[in-house]
Amino acid sequence: MSVPGRRSTAPAELPTRIAHLDRDRPLVEAAQRDPLQFDALYRRYLAQVYSYAYYELGDHHEAEDVTERTFLAALANLAGFEERARPADGDGASTFRVWLFQIARNAVANQRRGRRRHPQAPLEAAALVADPLDVEGGAQVRDEVAAAWKAVGRLPSDRRRAIVLRFVEEMSTAEIAGVLGRSEGAVRVLIHRALRSVARDLGAGAGGSGFARPDKRERSS
Amino acid sequence: MTLDRDSAATDALLTDLYVDALLAGAILDAAAGRTAGLRRGGTPNGFADLADSIDPSARRVAERLRRDLARVHPSFRFEERLATRLAEAAVALRLPLAAGAEGRIVPFPGGPSADVDPGLGPDAGASGGLIPAGSAPGLNGVAAGVLTSDLDPAHRPAAARPLLIGGALTSAALSIAGAAFVAWRLGRPGRASTPMARAARAVRDARLSAASPARGLD
Repeated sequence: MSVPGRRSTAPAELPTRIAHLDRDRPLVEAAQRDPLQFDALYRRYLAQVYSYAYYELGDHHEAEDVTERTFLAALANLAGFEERARPADGDGASTFRVWLFQIARNAVANQRRGRRRHPQAPLEAAALVADPLDVEGGAQVRDEVAAAWKAVGRLPSDRRRAIVLRFVEEMSTAEIAGVLGRSEGAVRVLIHRALRSVARDLGAGAGGSGFARPDKRERSS
Repeated sequence: MTLDRDSAATDALLTDLYVDALLAGAILDAAAGRTAGLRRGGTPNGFADLADSIDPSARRVAERLRRDLARVHPSFRFEERLATRLAEAAVALRLPLAAGAEGRIVPFPGGPSADVDPGLGPDAGASGGLIPAGSAPGLNGVAAGVLTSDLDPAHRPAAARPLLIGGALTSAALSIAGAAFVAWRLGRPGRASTPMARAARAVRDARLSAASPARGLD
């Protein structure tokens, strides 16, 4: 079964693919013919772009601004978009998505440049993950999610970006390499080091099977 | 030094393979990974072996981040507002395509030609083989009509000449008519004969005639 965003594991004896198909190609071609058809691409990627912006900026309003600018820029420049897919991008990989996230990355960088202070970690979003009917369990989930988000937020920007693209957007290493403008090997090392940093931050490994709950004084410092 | 770098690259590759499997749902958690086996190729305990071969802390963090880093959706209001804005921008992008689309192509009135392909239908010669708007492939309703003779040069009638009416030609015709009118007005001998000019002249004559007796009395 072909899994989106996963590297191809086709055996070597299979014939080499002549052309790698972008899964968004029909929608992109339709939108290039008629800009009103861009709506389908917008609906498909809205949550992904918004999530990426939100994890990067930690503010709903700024994430909305970035999302809006990203899609408007994508629509305006769609006629010049060329699919440059590689077999290494994997089955189901989308070069349009890589292109869209490159735009989003630039929009986030511009947004960062324009603002004066960094917001706090998005703690309120952790409440969205918790079960509203399970008060006690919900509080624990909220704490754990907030701790994970904080730990990711403390990572250096390139590692944080790679982690968000990998775990939130579920991009393949090849796609992340395309978005960040790095080699696949460099992205793998980034993610590996980021996981170890988060593990240290969360106290992983100290308590054996699970994560030790981080001390509140440590988390706030 | 080289060995360290190779080792780090190998660790990173194994971690990447593990995260691949984790995100694909092949491993639900570490414990399940030891017993669940594979859903895609390889040996039945391949993922369990893979899980054993990477750093346990990195593995647990990967499992936790997969669970805790949820995708955030914007509000419905924002989604619809941006969709409306994008639709407006899309319409604006379509305008350059539609400029001149109000014009339509009509045949030059030359009468039916003898070498019109009978396959085009009985009206092909008289109408120049007009295809109704929207039926031409790929034009997306931009052009109001297209000549079949333009589609296939072999079927082009000798007497049929397309003439574009409207759009650019209309504006050009208006410009030419305006320039001709100005030239006629400037080159016309004699006094202006517009109603306003006639009224102005009548008022001026009446004032002159009224002023003359008074001046004679003085």
